[in-house]
Amino acid sequence: MSHKNPTSRRDFLKLAAASGVALHSGAFANQLLASETLAPGYVPQDGSNKSLVVIFLRGGADHMNVIVPYGDPDYAAHRPTLAMNLESGLIKLDKTFGLHPAMTSLQSLWASGKLAPIVCAGSPHTTRSHFDAQDWMEFGAPGNRGVRDGWLNRYLATTQKKGDSASEFRALGMQELLPRSLRGTYPVLAVPSSLTKKKSSRNLDAFERFYGEGGDMLEGGEMMSGEREDDAAGVVKSGRITIETLRRLQAIIAASEKKNKNATVSGSSYPDSRFGQRLKKIALVLKANEGLEVAGIDYNGWDDHAQEGGAEGNMADRLRDLSTGISAFCQDLGPTLDTTTILVMTEFGRTVKENGNSGTDHGHGGAMFVIGGGVKGGEVHGDWRGLKPENLYQGRDLAVSTDFRDVFNAVLENSLGFEPPSGFFPDYKPNRLKKLF
Amino acid sequence: MRISPNSHRMESMEPRTHDGFPSQDDPAAAPLNDRERAAHLLSRLSYGPRPGETDKVIEIGAEAWLKEQLQDKDPSDPRLASWLSEYQTLALTVKDCAAFTYTERERGKTQTREEQRAERKKRRIPLDEVVWSTALRAVYSDRQATEVMGEFWRNHLNVSFTKGQNIYAAVPHYEAAVLRNNIWGKFPDMLKASAMHPAMLYYLDNHLSRRPPSKQELAEIERKTKRKTGSEERAVEAVQIASQRGLNENYARELLELHTLGVDNYYKQKDVIALAEILTGWTVDGGRKGSQDFVFKASMHVRGDIKLLGKKFPEDQEKGPGQGLSVLKMLGEHKGTADFIAMKMVRFLVADKPSEKLVAKVAKTYRKTKGDLVAMTQTIVESEDFWSRSNYRTKFKTPYEFILSALRVTGADIDRQASIGRYLQEMGQPIYHCDDPTGYYDTADAWLDPGVMALRWEFATDLANSKIRGVKIPDTFYDQIPHDGPPRLWQHHLTKLILPGGAGDRTRAALATVTSEYLDKKKRVPDLYEIGPTLVGLLLGSPEFQQQ
Repeated sequence: MSHKNPTSRRDFLKLAAASGVALHSGAFANQLLASETLAPGYVPQDGSNKSLVVIFLRGGADHMNVIVPYGDPDYAAHRPTLAMNLESGLIKLDKTFGLHPAMTSLQSLWASGKLAPIVCAGSPHTTRSHFDAQDWMEFGAPGNRGVRDGWLNRYLATTQKKGDSASEFRALGMQELLPRSLRGTYPVLAVPSSLTKKKSSRNLDAFERFYGEGGDMLEGGEMMSGEREDDAAGVVKSGRITIETLRRLQAIIAASEKKNKNATVSGSSYPDSRFGQRLKKIALVLKANEGLEVAGIDYNGWDDHAQEGGAEGNMADRLRDLSTGISAFCQDLGPTLDTTTILVMTEFGRTVKENGNSGTDHGHGGAMFVIGGGVKGGEVHGDWRGLKPENLYQGRDLAVSTDFRDVFNAVLENSLGFEPPSGFFPDYKPNRLKKLF
Repeated sequence: MRISPNSHRMESMEPRTHDGFPSQDDPAAAPLNDRERAAHLLSRLSYGPRPGETDKVIEIGAEAWLKEQLQDKDPSDPRLASWLSEYQTLALTVKDCAAFTYTERERGKTQTREEQRAERKKRRIPLDEVVWSTALRAVYSDRQATEVMGEFWRNHLNVSFTKGQNIYAAVPHYEAAVLRNNIWGKFPDMLKASAMHPAMLYYLDNHLSRRPPSKQELAEIERKTKRKTGSEERAVEAVQIASQRGLNENYARELLELHTLGVDNYYKQKDVIALAEILTGWTVDGGRKGSQDFVFKASMHVRGDIKLLGKKFPEDQEKGPGQGLSVLKMLGEHKGTADFIAMKMVRFLVADKPSEKLVAKVAKTYRKTKGDLVAMTQTIVESEDFWSRSNYRTKFKTPYEFILSALRVTGADIDRQASIGRYLQEMGQPIYHCDDPTGYYDTADAWLDPGVMALRWEFATDLANSKIRGVKIPDTFYDQIPHDGPPRLWQHHLTKLILPGGAGDRTRAALATVTSEYLDKKKRVPDLYEIGPTLVGLLLGSPEFQQQ
């Protein structure tokens, strides 16, 4: 595939930073760009390619129906229709916690020490708005309306190396629109589902002239007079990045499919769901070992105000899909899992008491999972303060005992080998979670 | 230097004037010329010009056009009228719609697979009809401003089919009675209509929200269960379950956060709970024999005077929904609501980053007119901001706006089975399927991720080349331009039709190259119907067409 206008990613960044339309102006990354010095670049210490896959459960997944505190003496009373116990098939983690019965496919990851559940993780901010809570979590900046770039995008922008080309494929969102954590100045591809169609590559060629570095009449890379830059500058940039990165991705996936054709890992059966199929594609890219560092994927629908269900039901169905997907993904990755970390998060947990409709309302502390090589799995992380009224946040929710930024920080450091400089998470003093990795 | 007396004329015969864009010398701050003004108005308050419409706006002026748009009568395209007349559920009450889609099952008989399929299909009729009629109206209605603002309110007061089947039969009536009926009315009326509509009550769970049972009631439940089952244990269990019944905060929170005041504006968690209590008993008279309409059930209501936003709301002495109604009235008159609705309308119609000055002006109109949506729209359209060059063609179309404007500008024929839903789905904006109560966002940062252009190019080329089932750009579209003119000018004529505000240099150069390649390769006579679709696909996928 030809690249008529090889363009450095730095140019993209400059363009992107100047536009502020398509690619949000990230104050932090802009600062770095403006000073023309880049933060100490990330060099993989051992030469291996480390990567992080982030799964966001949108809607506020109910902590107590995922990592279930069956051993807490007050649990059952709070959850008359939802409560489960070991007899309901909970996967025992320890004497207090069990995983929801629909998550059996994660059992082997737990047993092999590759799954680390974190209880009562969340934001120091009090909001119970989905939309603020999601934004602030994905921007890594609770309560701060000034930050508009995602924490993962900041990571990519900060570790940007001079002379990198945009076709060097460091990150993707495996869905049509990016998770907010990946939005920002660094150009990240949102992968359209029609990616593999032939006509989609024909279109890339056809529209290159319209979105390329310049029209055919341009010489010396200068804007032609009369170019109304403000009209559609953001669109042009977005289109240009689309062409370059999609071509690269198509090549990677084609090569990986060829390479892995005879080596389909036995036993890794992804669910037919959209989630499962997207994970499968991410695995293909990771196995190609072409430098993918960050992939993001959303899982919608966790706002269980009514008919949440216990061992069976609406939430159980989602948990089953989630778990079989993750489990298949890990098997599929094989040895690549050693250098891959999967982070599962949600914007907040839900009320300790179930509400009047066999559901739960917006709460506070939530569940997180860190899965993969290097993580200290096989034990439950985080501080559980119990379900006595005096220990609940505002008398109704799980209190947050682990700041989600502590987890992000640990993952960046240990999974991606990147030590976030001060200010990376605004107004945050790092608290090292020594036990997580 | 000799200046030809005709030089001005000659200049104006250069191809570029065919596109009607301004002279290159225009400084960035120059006011929009007539053609640009017309193009701008039609791009913001319609889904783009039908053939001849831009010239019409230039002729009659923006004011007259808007006035015409606000008239009740819709002398729409006869095709639209005939399509709409075929729909069966759009004018039904929720009760009639539920009855219409209900399948009687024979007792004790298991359904065959075909019967199950037929039942599912029948239940989905209102879903398909409301989705389709929304799209068809957006493309073909002559009351374009109504369709554009309809989309705004559809998102502001979002309900979604993704919530589940109980909502299906309620949405056609919601679209008609809550939204369309109030688009040019007063916001507080629309708000109240939404609050009392089954679609919203189901969507945000308020139909379930109730006061927790009293001790007496629990004792009654215990007694009854024991008598019925003879089991002490079952009775205790039943009491436990019943004692959990209670408030559901979902609607109360979004009513404050998304429908009126804006997030964490003026209210705290305790206000959310207070409002949830006030709205207990606001439910739907459901069940097979119910009216399927709003009903206030005093038995579910938390009785008593309740303080909300520092103000006391006394219990309705008539045992009706009076307490909630006075809260809605207060919210409709609240400064926070005026500010929030004004900000959203300006963001939608003018710029992703709305000017505070204009927002304040529109909020003032809101307060002065008690939320009159015609007056607010007029304040916006009459503002300097609206016509500023800095807001000209700078707003990124949502996928919905992109697809519908492409269909409209090409005069596409659409039949009922057309598969444009798939494209909306892939681009992330299927009609009436936004899970989040925020509705779909209307700003570029929500839609302009690297990668999304691939989907738009696919749609653009599919549409232009008649590759979308049930959709065709008719030959009459191409017949508008002179076939016998020089083929090199075809691109200019097509540009004028699709981008009335003109194309930038890059796009014109690219189109010229495509035309040249075609003409150089062609041994036969150049054929507009042959090269036309290629050019149209490229124009629809061009950077300029993504903007409004």
